[in-house]
Amino acid sequence: MIANQVALIRRELWEHRSLYVVPAVLGLVIVLIQMTGQTAVSAFGTHIDIALLGATNIGPNERGAVISVLLTVLSGLLVMAMLILTAFYSLDSLYAERKDRSILFWRSMPVTDAETVLSKLITAVIVIPVITLAFIAATHLLVLFVSSIWVGMRGANVWHLIWSAVPLLDTWSATLIFMVALSLWLSPFIGWFLLVSAYTKRSPMLMAILPIIVLPMLERSIMKTTMLFDALFVRTGNLPIYRDIDLEGLLSSKESLRMAAENGISLVSMLDVGRFVTSPGLWLGLTVCGLFTTAAMYVRRFRGDS
Amino acid sequence: MSSVVIAKHVSKSFGSTKAVDDVSFSIEKGRITGLIGPNGAGKTTLLKALLGLTDCEGSLSVLGLDPFRQRKELMQNICFIADVAVLPRWIRVSQLLDFVEAVHPNFSRKKAEDLLQPTKVSAGAKVRQLSKGMVTQLHLSIITAIDAKLLILDEPTLGLDIIFRKEFYGNLLNDYFDGERTIVITTHQVEEIENLLTDVMFINDGRIILDASMEELPEQFAELMTSGDSADEARKLKPIFEREVFGKNILTFDGVQREKLSEFGDVRTPNIADLFVAKIKGAA
Repeated sequence: MIANQVALIRRELWEHRSLYVVPAVLGLVIVLIQMTGQTAVSAFGTHIDIALLGATNIGPNERGAVISVLLTVLSGLLVMAMLILTAFYSLDSLYAERKDRSILFWRSMPVTDAETVLSKLITAVIVIPVITLAFIAATHLLVLFVSSIWVGMRGANVWHLIWSAVPLLDTWSATLIFMVALSLWLSPFIGWFLLVSAYTKRSPMLMAILPIIVLPMLERSIMKTTMLFDALFVRTGNLPIYRDIDLEGLLSSKESLRMAAENGISLVSMLDVGRFVTSPGLWLGLTVCGLFTTAAMYVRRFRGDS
Repeated sequence: MSSVVIAKHVSKSFGSTKAVDDVSFSIEKGRITGLIGPNGAGKTTLLKALLGLTDCEGSLSVLGLDPFRQRKELMQNICFIADVAVLPRWIRVSQLLDFVEAVHPNFSRKKAEDLLQPTKVSAGAKVRQLSKGMVTQLHLSIITAIDAKLLILDEPTLGLDIIFRKEFYGNLLNDYFDGERTIVITTHQVEEIENLLTDVMFINDGRIILDASMEELPEQFAELMTSGDSADEARKLKPIFEREVFGKNILTFDGVQREKLSEFGDVRTPNIADLFVAKIKGAA
């Protein structure tokens, strides 16, 4: 069972090379933009460069926080790419094998339909975030490395300014937690996409998106309620993983800002895993995902190669 | 002898069309059965039911398993190649071998590599870079490297040149078939497999119209070549089919004694292709 899953997931990565090519290219583009930017800034002379960093007159915690924020923005770009890739992947995963007519070959192997569909779900919900994290980490390291050269060439202490200050492990842990949580939170969509992918005869994208847009509109005009709209759109934006932090209070009071600067801000500490795993919305979503995925298994089993 | 396949009243409908219509038969271990029928006769549907790729009515047992419900277990001891089973175009040859090796307990990678070694199929190539013949070679190499009890071949050599086809069937008999394994094969090129079959089944409009061993055929069927008045006399014995070749009448008989027929002309056993045409057209 587990050996089969490993083989099946490897198979997914062979087929869907975009899952690692896209984040790799995106990461490289980010680094290239950064290099271009720094070269351009260098043209204005060295004296403003270090001052721009504000390097010497802020504490290590603040410097760490600034770098963390910058790195998190970069992570955000790759996470957005990941969401798009995941959508395309799940829509394609059970459709492509029928389109290229290889489904009979796959089904001639001693692997159940349930195992196959499960491997696609695991790829979408767990493997893609983990791959993305690897590229996020690599991008961070490259960006910091390029910055180190730039800062170092201006005679500043690279270790002091950058490497000792940046909380890499904290940033990466928080990113991984966030990404897996996001995938689990959005898993009903992944389940739905898998089902459409197994079922549809043409244009899986259209067939998947259309009901998501049309049904809430119908509900609203016929029943005058917004249950579907809330379930599909309002819920999606409300990932219950952030710890209740009074951001306004934090930013408005000098005292709390000073505290934060002294203690450092940990991204992980801003996430509340307990709140996430106990939120009914997560379990409801996972149930919906499970139902859609089971339906996809049955469709693959009964539908054959048509 | 033990039965590898037992089908009792098997039916499968698509909407109002009956693709397989109340079919019962059994296939014994160690036999090579040819399943022969025109396009749309229900061959592929029947094979899919045997392979557990589609559900059906009636009772069907393959290697003692219910194919649709126990497909995974079944696939460990069965392998098939179908003209519609296409290898994924994006995969590399080495990846394909890796995958089958990982999921198939009865697959011998070494054997597959040995089979591929004399061909032009290289391990690093992607399927999309291979010619149709090479893809089939690859697929057949994988299939024959699986130590299966039952091998199902649905038009295995479609689109391949005659040299490869001859070689394939030669290898199938010499290297693969050992009397323990059972083979079910369908093809339109009946003449090519006639000599390797031990049994033959004709299927038309979803029904089995002939199920016999090759030894039984000469006893049951005869072809009479005659002309003129003799032909008129012979027609009284109710041939199932008649055709004309170079001014001679060729009459096919089912269950008529050869001694009787030899009074009217030359008698021989019809080949499978002619018998098939006689059964299909004669019934029409």
